[in-house]
Amino acid sequence: MKKKRLERLTMGIILIGMIIGGFIGLSIAGVTINFSIAAAIIGAPLIGFFISYSLSKWRKKRMGTIPEADERTALMLKRYFLGVLYFVLFGSGAALLVLYAMGIQTIETGMLIVCMMILYLVIGIGTLIAAKL
Amino acid sequence: MKVVNHIREIRLKNGITQVKMAQDLKITRQTVNAIEKNKYNPSLELALKLIRYFNVPIEEMFYLEGYEEE
Repeated sequence: MKKKRLERLTMGIILIGMIIGGFIGLSIAGVTINFSIAAAIIGAPLIGFFISYSLSKWRKKRMGTIPEADERTALMLKRYFLGVLYFVLFGSGAALLVLYAMGIQTIETGMLIVCMMILYLVIGIGTLIAAKL
Repeated sequence: MKVVNHIREIRLKNGITQVKMAQDLKITRQTVNAIEKNKYNPSLELALKLIRYFNVPIEEMFYLEGYEEE
């Protein structure tokens, strides 16, 4: 019961954080917040939460009390993140060397943010795959 | 030296499904499958749980490859 309460509390804090973050982000960007934008900021996390909640309920109904992760999952994720660590470490170093050799002297931070976003996305998808193998 | 197990044979002899075994031992069905196919060696903790679950001696369930006859 205590675990369930903690889960709900965490989920609530994340949801509120996402909504507040959305408003802060838009106000920093200087966007005028009207009703449709506010609805999107509040609605999107709620819809996302509802979809994930429904999926977890469906999974529980289908799989019963089988856990989502166990000792093998932890081992696989450990190995995966070890691989990711070296890939990012040496990959980013190699990418910098290649860019320097190509004659590129400066990197735009906006481009760096986009690259990092893609990297995080790929790592995230990889994590999901590694956990389900 | 590779560790081999007889879990699949013992499980089928007892008429237990992989899903039931996963539920009882609190592990994923993928782990049951990987152990049965000798692709993953369970931890000592899980190995002891398996022995207790099937109520068989350890040497009947796990052995080193090439040492089965002993």
